[in-house]
Amino acid sequence: MAAPTVTAALNATVFNPGETMTLMVTYGDPDTRPVTVTIVVTDAQGNRSAPVDVVAVIDPLTLTVSDDSGRTWSKVSDNGAVAAYRAVA
Amino acid sequence: MPRVTVTVRDNGGRTATATVDYTVGQPVLGGYYLSGGADPTADMAGGNFRSLTQYRSFADGYIFPGYNRPWLVTLGRAGIKMNMVLELKHYGAPNTGPQTFTVDGVTYTVPAPAMTIQQRPGTTWPRAYGYSQVLAGQCDGLFARALSQYRTLGFGVNIQLASELDTDHEFGTTEAGVSYSWASSDARAVQAMTYIVNWFKARSLPAGTTFSVGVGGFDRACYQRTHPEALMAKLDFLQWNVYATSATHTALARFRRTKDWAVADLGPVALSRPVLIAEWGVRVAEVPNQAGWIATVPAAVAALNAERGPRIARTNYFNSGWGTLSPKSVGLAALKAAYAVRPYV
Repeated sequence: MAAPTVTAALNATVFNPGETMTLMVTYGDPDTRPVTVTIVVTDAQGNRSAPVDVVAVIDPLTLTVSDDSGRTWSKVSDNGAVAAYRAVA
Repeated sequence: MPRVTVTVRDNGGRTATATVDYTVGQPVLGGYYLSGGADPTADMAGGNFRSLTQYRSFADGYIFPGYNRPWLVTLGRAGIKMNMVLELKHYGAPNTGPQTFTVDGVTYTVPAPAMTIQQRPGTTWPRAYGYSQVLAGQCDGLFARALSQYRTLGFGVNIQLASELDTDHEFGTTEAGVSYSWASSDARAVQAMTYIVNWFKARSLPAGTTFSVGVGGFDRACYQRTHPEALMAKLDFLQWNVYATSATHTALARFRRTKDWAVADLGPVALSRPVLIAEWGVRVAEVPNQAGWIATVPAAVAALNAERGPRIARTNYFNSGWGTLSPKSVGLAALKAAYAVRPYV
């Protein structure tokens, strides 16, 4: 089993007081494989529905963000691979 | 420097960590200048004023703190950042003849100023110590006198050499009977400014001493000529002045004009330096709503500082000449309101 990976980048390195800072986190796990569950409904007469695919994320990764200056970072978006956080400088 | 730590953990407890550092800059320092170099203490009371511009001629025997200006020491010791504009332009002396004086036991004789500047047709051209005189070492006594006084102040200042080289050179200069074009005056000034900065830096200076060269910033070619990397490596600030003199002038456009030229034309050393706006002002004749214009300045400065390029660090309102606050109480209230919000806090 491999360890997960993460990179983090800010939209600037120097901020003015009160400015919004944006943190982009890119993360993943080499062990993660897509799992697709296909559902087909069948009735007593043997009629079958069209198959429907559902993508499932098994055992999602947990992200934590901390800041040694005490600023609070709030999650703005997260699609499972890229997450955006914001804080006030 | 604050650090953000991002940790990702999988179900098996395996983790990965990334860190990223950032810096939160100081607020922009809101500053002031009062006409005639007068005591600004009363005007500044109750406002978030943290910076001040002052003008002195090297010809003046009283540069630091200035003749009858004990308030400058009081303000400086209270933490107001001083931008002392020291000019080769000749004023503040009884006459334009040579001077003999003694500094720390050494007697110097400095010749009469041999240059004319600001040669606008139809006006009397001001005299100044010439760039050749500086390079020949003839003005060293003036620098020694200024330094000796500076060491007694008790705090470090920014020494801005010249007020506006572009204004000084716009119509050419003349030294010892020889005429120099605008461009050649700029080149000669760069040599003389380099000489003066080197002269001061070769000696013991109060902690916190910084240097800059004064340029109005209204001419792109001049701005480029007066900011070579070799000189900028010795300086701590970029500097330009900002005036609204037309109803069409927005704060953002006026503060950004010289910045855009600098970003396009100057080298990495110059662009690594913060910006000191030694003068900014609104001319009430064309912009009757002076207070309204002033109110737009914080957002303009914040917007410029959010862009790439040098950061505006100090902005000193010039309550004199073009910038005269009229009516004063309204203008001053607007200035205090502007300095009470981001990016000034």
